[in-house]
Amino acid sequence: MRGRVLVIGAVVASLLLVGAYLAAGGSSYEPEQIQNPCKPRPWSNPQTLGQIANQFTISALDGAACKLGVSREALTRALATPEARKRFTEKYGIDDEKLAKAIRAGLLRAVDDAEEAGALSPILAVPLRATIRNIPLEEAIELIQNGRKLLSNVEGFLGPAGSIIEQFLP
Amino acid sequence: MALAAVPAALLARRVGPGRAAAVGLAIFAGAGLACGLADDLSTLVLARCVQALGGAAAVTAALELLPATVGSERRAATVWAAAGATGAALGPALGGILTELVSWQSIFFLQVPVALIAAVPILSVAKHEAATGVIEPELRRTGRPHLWANLALAMVSAAIAAALFLLVLLLIEGWRLSPITAAIVVSVMPLSALVGTKLTEYVADARSRAAAGAILVSGGLAGLAFLPKATIALTIPPQILVGVGLSLVLSALTETALGGRAPQAIHGGWTISARHAGVVIGLLALTPIFTADIDQQRHDAINAGTAVILDSPVNPLLKLGVAEKVSERLEEEKGKVPTIGPAFEPLPDNPAERAEVEQLKGELQDQLDRGATHAFSTSFILAALLGLIALFPIALSKEVEL
Repeated sequence: MRGRVLVIGAVVASLLLVGAYLAAGGSSYEPEQIQNPCKPRPWSNPQTLGQIANQFTISALDGAACKLGVSREALTRALATPEARKRFTEKYGIDDEKLAKAIRAGLLRAVDDAEEAGALSPILAVPLRATIRNIPLEEAIELIQNGRKLLSNVEGFLGPAGSIIEQFLP
Repeated sequence: MALAAVPAALLARRVGPGRAAAVGLAIFAGAGLACGLADDLSTLVLARCVQALGGAAAVTAALELLPATVGSERRAATVWAAAGATGAALGPALGGILTELVSWQSIFFLQVPVALIAAVPILSVAKHEAATGVIEPELRRTGRPHLWANLALAMVSAAIAAALFLLVLLLIEGWRLSPITAAIVVSVMPLSALVGTKLTEYVADARSRAAAGAILVSGGLAGLAFLPKATIALTIPPQILVGVGLSLVLSALTETALGGRAPQAIHGGWTISARHAGVVIGLLALTPIFTADIDQQRHDAINAGTAVILDSPVNPLLKLGVAEKVSERLEEEKGKVPTIGPAFEPLPDNPAERAEVEQLKGELQDQLDRGATHAFSTSFILAALLGLIALFPIALSKEVEL
């Protein structure tokens, strides 16, 4: 009799524990999904210059990653250090020229997205595109070697025009 | 140990349990010293093999010596089984504490005096055997090894080894706890095993105890597989189930395997073999699975973490700096879930930015912790299934009274 009670108790205790953990979301873990960088990512109505720069960076990374056929996250990590970049280019069989072209394409997409979102006036978008297209290969490589520098330059594009842009902001 | 247990038991029968235990403990102590002094892996493994030979002789001979001390063969089997179950639960916790407080070598150095102290009371028995010669005890060779009980022991031991091994790994490698903290956390299992030992006194039927124990071990493992959050507190209820379960099932199955069989040392040797074979098979089967899972989860968690960084409202310059530092930490802690705290240092002075960065840090840590926790789920589930499958041989096992 005691044996049966012990077995039933074990079953009940086990089911209670597993049931409680499942009810609390124990089986629901899914890593955050990585979005396809080729799919347009909506701009979340940036209000300040900093927010525009943020969206601009994301768009540029998306555009470059799409061009290379990798995720935006993988490209971000690849740009973090020269060693990471080397491993990345070796892994995907990408040379520096292809990487530079992809970064240029990313920057152009960022300008398009900014213009489409109304965050960048066409008056500014045109010269920005021209500047991006004419970035020398070496400079493009230098830009992608350092994520900070990439963004500094992105901000640099906007920086001089910042005061003008602010006039277009809501 | 799995290979040496039965031959060691045969030797104990031939030379006498007192002498076998004394020599076994001496070998165990000497090899333990060699383990502690080993300066490369090969020496350590070799010394551990020698230690297993000594340990096998001592443990199986102890079963022959115990009836004289505790009064009966049945009581001896119960005490011997309970000691084995307690040791299995206590080992990882004690090892973790010693590793952190002193060094991993200290685990082996501590074994030397313990083994030698244990040998002292046995010396008089050994001397007596040497003086009088070994009288071949009445050879009640009643039957072959208990197939079903030993098979169940192997399965349950595989599940329990997985519980102990995987949980320690999850705590240290996945959640980045220090070995001493992990040891304190897993000490819940040996403490719960003591409760299980008490239950043994109230339920005589070994098959019921074995079944209940296997169910509790499986339930606890399933609980560990479905942890809703990466917090220590949530590991405690599953550990209680595993701890109580392991003491119930290991002692009940060992008693069943020994019940009505003689010589005790040899059948005890079979139970030792079954348990250690189960541990080896369990680790061999589950290690590649969780290694592959943890690699995949690490990859997914890192991608998810990078996405969290990029999508955060934190200043772009700041977050690319964080991404850079996180990448560096991934390199530094290759193959592990990275400690990301230093990637956020120094925190910005601006209170608003500081709050955003703190939030980002929390989200990123959560992604990594949940990924690491999830990486162990499949292995815990498979281990839980092993425990449940053991119910079949438990159902087929019949207890024979001594």
